[in-house]
Amino acid sequence: MGHEGVGFKSGSTRSGLPTTRSRVPRGRQIQKTFNNVKITVLCGFVTLLVLRGTIGVGNLTGSTLESEDQRVVEDIDRILREIRTDSEPEPQDPLSSLYFANSTAHNWTYAEAVEAVNYSLGPKISDWDQQRQVWLSQNPNFPNRLLGKHRILLVTGSPPNPCDNAIGDHYLLKSTKNKIDYCRLHGIEIVYNMAHLDKELAGYWAKLPLIRKLMLSHPEIEWIWWMDSDAFFTDMAFELPLEKYKNHNLIIHGYPDLLFEQHSWIALNTGSFLFRNCQWSLDLLDAWAPMGPKGIVRELAGKILTANLKGRPAFEADDQSALIYLLTSQQDKWMSKVYVENSYYLHGFWAGLVDKYEEMIEQNHPGLGDERWPFVTHFVGCKPCGSYGDYPVERCLSSMERAFNFGDNQVLRLYGFAHKGLVSPKIKRVRDQTSDPLQVKEKLDMAARITM
Amino acid sequence: MLERCIGERRLRQIQRGVQNMKLTFLCLLLTLLVLRGTIGAGKYGTPQQDFIELRQRFISHPHRALAEQNQPEPKPKKSDKDDEPPLRSLNDPYSLGPKISDWDSQRADWIHRHPERPNFLTKTKPRVLLVTGSSPKPCENPVGDHYLLKSIKNKIDYCRVHNIEIFYNMALLDAEMAGFWAKLPLIRALLLAHPEVEFLWWMDSDAMFTDMAFELPWERYAPYNLVMHGWDEMVYKDKNWIGLNTGSFLLRNCQWSLDLLDAWAPMGPKGPVRTEAGKILTKTLKDRPVFEADDQSAMVYLLVTQKEKWANKVYLESAYYLHGYWGILVDRYEEMIENYHPGLGDHRWPLVTHFVGCKPCGKFGDYPVERCLKQMDRAFNFGDNQILQMYGFTHKSLASRRVRRVRNETSNPLEVKDELGLLHPDFKAVQHHAS
Repeated sequence: MGHEGVGFKSGSTRSGLPTTRSRVPRGRQIQKTFNNVKITVLCGFVTLLVLRGTIGVGNLTGSTLESEDQRVVEDIDRILREIRTDSEPEPQDPLSSLYFANSTAHNWTYAEAVEAVNYSLGPKISDWDQQRQVWLSQNPNFPNRLLGKHRILLVTGSPPNPCDNAIGDHYLLKSTKNKIDYCRLHGIEIVYNMAHLDKELAGYWAKLPLIRKLMLSHPEIEWIWWMDSDAFFTDMAFELPLEKYKNHNLIIHGYPDLLFEQHSWIALNTGSFLFRNCQWSLDLLDAWAPMGPKGIVRELAGKILTANLKGRPAFEADDQSALIYLLTSQQDKWMSKVYVENSYYLHGFWAGLVDKYEEMIEQNHPGLGDERWPFVTHFVGCKPCGSYGDYPVERCLSSMERAFNFGDNQVLRLYGFAHKGLVSPKIKRVRDQTSDPLQVKEKLDMAARITM
Repeated sequence: MLERCIGERRLRQIQRGVQNMKLTFLCLLLTLLVLRGTIGAGKYGTPQQDFIELRQRFISHPHRALAEQNQPEPKPKKSDKDDEPPLRSLNDPYSLGPKISDWDSQRADWIHRHPERPNFLTKTKPRVLLVTGSSPKPCENPVGDHYLLKSIKNKIDYCRVHNIEIFYNMALLDAEMAGFWAKLPLIRALLLAHPEVEFLWWMDSDAMFTDMAFELPWERYAPYNLVMHGWDEMVYKDKNWIGLNTGSFLLRNCQWSLDLLDAWAPMGPKGPVRTEAGKILTKTLKDRPVFEADDQSAMVYLLVTQKEKWANKVYLESAYYLHGYWGILVDRYEEMIENYHPGLGDHRWPLVTHFVGCKPCGKFGDYPVERCLKQMDRAFNFGDNQILQMYGFTHKSLASRRVRRVRNETSNPLEVKDELGLLHPDFKAVQHHAS
């Protein structure tokens, strides 16, 4: 395909060269044009072939597995976006109408805001203890003790929409399995909440109306145990020492010196605590709730809390800070019935625990519940469900996997299995099968040392 | 200058040669490209793959995030291959475990020694363990885990109301029996480890409770050891592979069940055993497509070929939806709400809506993803409404995650009974011991 093939149709005679027209006969010209067309068609055909091979021209390729894949993935993306967006508008700040009714220059104080919102968890009940006693005596089939033990209801939950980060749902699932296992071993009922019962008390405050509602609906339940969805049971043999709490109504993990001397905002942890089902608890919930309503109340309350609690960053009021503030400012009213527990990890901050699991397996055994074998490992700040946590994602996820497997080993042990390593989802047999399984079961001790 | 060295004619020859070479190379390149595009060049990849790679690199994907986080194991992949069991040959029989022949007496002894864990909670109500599970790895589909979470919440709710214990399995106990067969070694391990359990209720992770008020008719099952949803004629006469469903069934904890599991298992082991068994099943059973042996077809085959041995203890339940195929149920929920009420368990208000074929955890199911997920939401809300009404709430609609109040708070909460009576139902009552 040299230069000869390309027709050089030039009408211009500026160059002074004789025109090609006069030199080349007609027939030759037509042949040349024909050749050009042939070559163009050939090139075009080759281009089409190459394109077909590379990108695939729609129906010409037919559906290969990979294009199916792409289509499904795109579908899922679109559906995910649909599922995540809520067609309904966010509920309004209850004070926004008042806000603009008066002049915008009005500076609300916290007290004013609370009074204006006039939030209440429900109609005031003053005789809950009696109501409950009467009901229990009338319903012997729903006693508040089973096999001598007070009935406990474990309450946890998560938002109703898919996590922003898909892996978050996977760890919610594992956390739920973990709770199901512990509760099955200890005869505890579970309520998993996915409903926003009260628009105003959304977020971390959502547990308050939920706890109240469950208390009032289930008089046969003696203890309501709230547990965050990012907390894992890591001691399956540990039993709550309920006799210790005979005279108390709120059991919460914390440190008295941090609470009373330093007024630290992390003196107590509301990620795992127990409320007795009684009048005192209803009263405490009523006293706790006022800082919760979304909007101006929560913001102003946040400022008060930051000013009064040591180490608290500036952000809206959270339930934990509010409880600490309440208990320290009304010490005489409440503290006699509050048990600040730190002899075992009713809540165990994960960062100091997760790297020690192998050491614990080697040196200790389940059933201790404390720093030797933590009862609960709580992944505060990890937020695997959301987009932003306070810690690197990779560290959080691998630590959660380890905590889960650490607890799961204690369950699998009953069936003769264990995880291949604390990071591995795979399991291996650690006890041979036998034709006399019940002999083995009789000798099995949940608190015995674990061999990996 | 070159001209002077070589000579004009020579130069022109060389020039022409070079042009020919250029042409040749160009054509060769084109040919290679076309061949790569059509046939593919093995490990050098096809242009399709290039395209996909480029796409993935430039478009961030939830999958990628998942795939990246899916590598918690620091060990190289080689070790994974090492624990793959060698494929069982056809003449090497599989066994679920050492043969036990006196399970009934072993179990009776144990129950006698442990009166604090009786196998019957009341005269008629047995202790039941609901068993379900999913893979310990994150779902390939980014929303799959969310639906697994909703599904387990749904089961937690039903079981709390009906006083049933739950075991959520995430462990593959026997690598040979992977896939749908994984339930067999699990069921056996659970039966043997929990003698206090009278009935084991296996339920798939893609099945949801949609009738929270329906209590299983335990007295009806007193003479039987295996209860599955299905029809006698479809199984014994028609030999139809969907004559029964193993997505939701009850198995009594007794010697008979251990023997049944032993008889059921042989078609399960991965590899040539499963493939060959699949061929036998397709040949024998009606309408069965060609694929490896699955536990459901194997059960039909077992009942059909060994009817005298097993059938008298097997109850094929069709009076209510112990398993309800979702396709014929989900569009009728509004109609059901209007005309019927919970507690019926049957076509009027199904106990279980089972999303067969949806596979929300994987990438591909037999049905369009959108329909499956939207309907799963509806089924979930349909069941959840019955739980929420205990506390005075309901979903704003069957498609909405939001709830609204339907019963005001009161200062006398114990005088209010929830409409369905699920707060303190008879079937949850503890046997009253006269002390």
